[in-house]
Amino acid sequence: MSHETPEVEGYSPISVFISALVGIVVAVLSVWWASGFGPFYETLFRVGPTVEGGGVGADWVAGNTIPALDFLIALVHAADVILGVFILLLVFLHWASFRRLAARMRHPGEDETGETVMADGSGDGGER
Amino acid sequence: MTNLDHGKFTRVTTLFHSLLALDVFLLFFTGYAIMFNSELWWLMTLMGGATGVTALHRIAGIGLVALIVFWMVLMLISPTGRSNFAEILPVKEDIEAFLQDVQFMLGRADERHPHARQFAGYESDEVPLLSYVGKGVVAIFAIELTLLTISGLLIWSKTGLMSYFATRTAAMAFVVFHGLLGIIMLMGVMFHIFEHGMHPAFYPVETKAFIPRSMIPESHDDDEDHDGTGIERLELSPSWHSVSTVFGSFVVIGIVSVLMGSIVREGYPVPRELVVSGDLTNLLLTIGINIGIFVLFVGLVLSMYGNVMRVRWEKEVQRRQERETVADGGETRTDD
Repeated sequence: MSHETPEVEGYSPISVFISALVGIVVAVLSVWWASGFGPFYETLFRVGPTVEGGGVGADWVAGNTIPALDFLIALVHAADVILGVFILLLVFLHWASFRRLAARMRHPGEDETGETVMADGSGDGGER
Repeated sequence: MTNLDHGKFTRVTTLFHSLLALDVFLLFFTGYAIMFNSELWWLMTLMGGATGVTALHRIAGIGLVALIVFWMVLMLISPTGRSNFAEILPVKEDIEAFLQDVQFMLGRADERHPHARQFAGYESDEVPLLSYVGKGVVAIFAIELTLLTISGLLIWSKTGLMSYFATRTAAMAFVVFHGLLGIIMLMGVMFHIFEHGMHPAFYPVETKAFIPRSMIPESHDDDEDHDGTGIERLELSPSWHSVSTVFGSFVVIGIVSVLMGSIVREGYPVPRELVVSGDLTNLLLTIGINIGIFVLFVGLVLSMYGNVMRVRWEKEVQRRQERETVADGGETRTDD
């Protein structure tokens, strides 16, 4: 029966435990690295990249002079637009599909209508 | 019932999915309160201003790294994880499924391709673990989360970043990069919420990710030879039409707005050119981006609802098992 169903037995507790442990250790280490191997409660609050915070970018020169980074940002911009349009297409695709599927379902309140086709051809919409 | 074949996640997967969702939602709420800080001023204020938001964003960031590494290690060291890996790779049928979906939308196909189906019904074995959209979601979220985590850590480590790139502006370019990259994921998550919340058969939320497979009884013995998926037997929820229309519109407005926002904004706080503000376009953008955040909020609520369903389901299964052990007189229960 399960020729297409993959193995989805539960994960063993020891695997879960080891994975969780490694995950937490790596997370803490990476953040510790990012904050220069210092106590990171300082850096947690140090940066406030907003106007009223007078933060990160406030006194920095506007404009980016490294072509490679400029290109990278332009690339992500393009990706935003292209993938955004594709995601919109997927939304409309599913919206329309869902409406077609919904039209086949039994509608509340109406026992049988001409457009509701029963699976077994009985046309008996009122069966329990 | 018709959706008994629908549990596809293990218990660990359902928990992981919920935790990841909570964490990513928190990252979105805090991150876009920063990026779209003029449109989402209330969100910024609500979460403790600039200091609170950045602190929360970082805490959620630590959580994300922990969750990602947890999952990667689990996939590597457990046989279940390794065996599932093949299931997420795209195959030829996935492209066919996409094309057939387009035809289905246009009315030129009668059924959705098995690789596109969320609803299995009678021919449940035809439906793979993940639809083509599911595979796409796994792939794009994996790439996105990796890039976002790396760029996020680099931004965090300002001094480290500045030692690689000479100027502070260059370091700031990574902030822009990080924010713009997140837009793709934000749009994807909105679609994800729509896809799994508004399917007419599973409305208001698809339980696949919440009720683990171990709790789904395997009963495929009752079908003779039904054709199709049996969706005709299900009753549509009375509120589906209006809710799905309103929510679908919100999703579209949300996606378009953050897309426009990412183009206009160019990424605070290093705008490459002057941002035009204070006109009607800006007002519409503000409304649209807030609608997008509302879509995320709905997703958060649906995720909680799914977990409530799981708890309820667990209790029901337990009650049924108790009843069966009491009534062991051989009386067959007929609840097909």
